[in-house]
Amino acid sequence: MAAIVRIPTSLRVHTSGKDEVSASGATITEVIDDLEAHYPGIKTKLVDASGVRRFVNIFVGDEDIRFLEGVATKVADGVEISIIPAIAGG
Amino acid sequence: MVDASGDSKSILLVGAGGIGAPAAWALALAGVRALVLVDEDAVELGNLHRQILFEESGVGHSKVVALAEALGREAPGLDVSWFEGRAAPSTVAELVGRAGVVIDATDNFPTRFLLADAAHLAGVPIVHAAAVRWQATVLGAAGHGKPCYRCLFEDVPSGALLDCATAGVAGPVCGVAGAVAADRAIRILDGDRTAVGTIVTYDGLTDRLRQIEVHPRANCALCGAEATIGTIDARRYTNAVTCE
Repeated sequence: MAAIVRIPTSLRVHTSGKDEVSASGATITEVIDDLEAHYPGIKTKLVDASGVRRFVNIFVGDEDIRFLEGVATKVADGVEISIIPAIAGG
Repeated sequence: MVDASGDSKSILLVGAGGIGAPAAWALALAGVRALVLVDEDAVELGNLHRQILFEESGVGHSKVVALAEALGREAPGLDVSWFEGRAAPSTVAELVGRAGVVIDATDNFPTRFLLADAAHLAGVPIVHAAAVRWQATVLGAAGHGKPCYRCLFEDVPSGALLDCATAGVAGPVCGVAGAVAADRAIRILDGDRTAVGTIVTYDGLTDRLRQIEVHPRANCALCGAEATIGTIDARRYTNAVTCE
């Protein structure tokens, strides 16, 4: 299974500037692990020991994974995953 | 502080910077009757690329005064008041309670959560607008309603962050955030229920503008069934934030 992951600008330092990458995995956990394998350092920006960081939101399609099965949410082939971190600039 | 008489159609704009300036301009020219500006900073040279109503001659001057003067030239009929200072736990209830809607255009997380809490507790709708680098987000929340800012971003971040104001920001991205924030504020004042409950994201590098529905979180500390935030406690807004 491969998903399309939309990378926010703040995390593109890990993806060589790519705004969109492909990642494999049947669940969000596996997708994040695959991201980490290809883009080291990105995992700790997304999750900590208790799960998805409080100020990061991950959407599968238009659905927040907190309202699905969290990091155990299943990922369908070709689905779009969006990462929306809290930001405070202006 | 210039007197800001309470007005259910007035807009409280907290943050007179890169998002606040274009938002204020859009609101003024849209015919908003009253605007209250809050900011503690002075205009800096490095602000001018995105804080588009300021001029080089204004460097060193109070942002709220400079913005009020600029808005006076652009929209002479607009009632502009200001508070030169920070929205603090001790002042926020009075500021927010007078407004018909609040626009949060601030550059730090503690103030964002403070405004979210104060607006919810006062039953005043709020629009949170933020921009960093090439990314912007705008979230509208109804007064006393669900979802709120804490449904999405649970608490003041501590430790290393993905980004913050010091990461830099592209001026046009601020303009988009300010325009969307103004759009949401006007629609809220107009009673448009679709103006809340969603987050708009904008990516200035891909020109991708997207709106996603935000769901109320059952255990949200602010608007959940067993909410724990019922007052403004200053200790809640002091978490240290580091930037990368």
